[in-house]
Amino acid sequence: MTEPLDKKARQLFDESVDGLDAATLSKLNRSRQAALAQAGSRRPLTRWAPAGGLAAAAVIAVVMVQSPGVVETPPGSTAADFEILLGDDSLDMLEELEFYDWLDLVEAGSDADLG
Amino acid sequence: MDAFNPALAVSCEERDDGANTLQNIDELNRFLAGIERRALRYAEIAVRNRDDALDLVQNAMIKLVRNYANKPEAEWSPLFYRILQNGIRDFHRRQAVRGKVMAWFGRAGDDEPAYDPVEHAPDPAGRTPEESVETGEAMTALEEALQDLPARQREAFMLRTFEGLDVEGTASAMGCSAGSVKTHYSRAVHRLRDTLGEHWT
Repeated sequence: MTEPLDKKARQLFDESVDGLDAATLSKLNRSRQAALAQAGSRRPLTRWAPAGGLAAAAVIAVVMVQSPGVVETPPGSTAADFEILLGDDSLDMLEELEFYDWLDLVEAGSDADLG
Repeated sequence: MDAFNPALAVSCEERDDGANTLQNIDELNRFLAGIERRALRYAEIAVRNRDDALDLVQNAMIKLVRNYANKPEAEWSPLFYRILQNGIRDFHRRQAVRGKVMAWFGRAGDDEPAYDPVEHAPDPAGRTPEESVETGEAMTALEEALQDLPARQREAFMLRTFEGLDVEGTASAMGCSAGSVKTHYSRAVHRLRDTLGEHWT
């Protein structure tokens, strides 16, 4: 009893696939080419960056909640921090952590020299 | 964003083995070209909007190429449909949240025209208008019946019947056991037969 329903459903589906218009087929072709263009791209930290961003946001949240008064923040800044940490731009920062470490060292050295 | 699934995870180092070779790209191109039209209709039936379906298919293509290009070609089909299926589920989640937000603000989102399956029904060449109408009505009835199925039953039926995946491939695409696929599929067929009986005899 299952066979006729399966066959008819499959036949109808196949006909609807065959009936796709040229404009849609063109869009599909462009989508495929865009996808294939990604074959050589490397985004090594992309997989873990969202987790890193979430972890950083969680740390900031804990610090801010547990240390009221220690860190004075203007209204709305917590939300802004979360937005920044979870935004796409934060991925670039995470990929250049070594640079920011070096920058901190250079600035600390400059401060020491000036002091 | 699609739900991350550790079972499908592959390291970037693993990916680099063959993803960049021209042969691999050519094989991917052939695979995607062979699957894209069916995938679009699959997604369109699931989300009931062609533009949204196109976006979902393109995202699935990109994720497959980026992350699983070096997997054996035999695994591409279930992997692709798993990615696409995750995208469809996320789409429905977003739609549900959007509906709640709009309802909270007192707007029912009625500024968008309702989906009209008849309008979107294909018009294949070479058939009489009567035949086209008959086919269009049957497909519309099938799509509406599929919409009434629980999501997992719909997935099992569409992957098995429309995409021709076997039980194991369907289980891989759905992220469940082969036994669950058989159960979902059997229930789907029974419910569809009950719903479509008068149209399909």
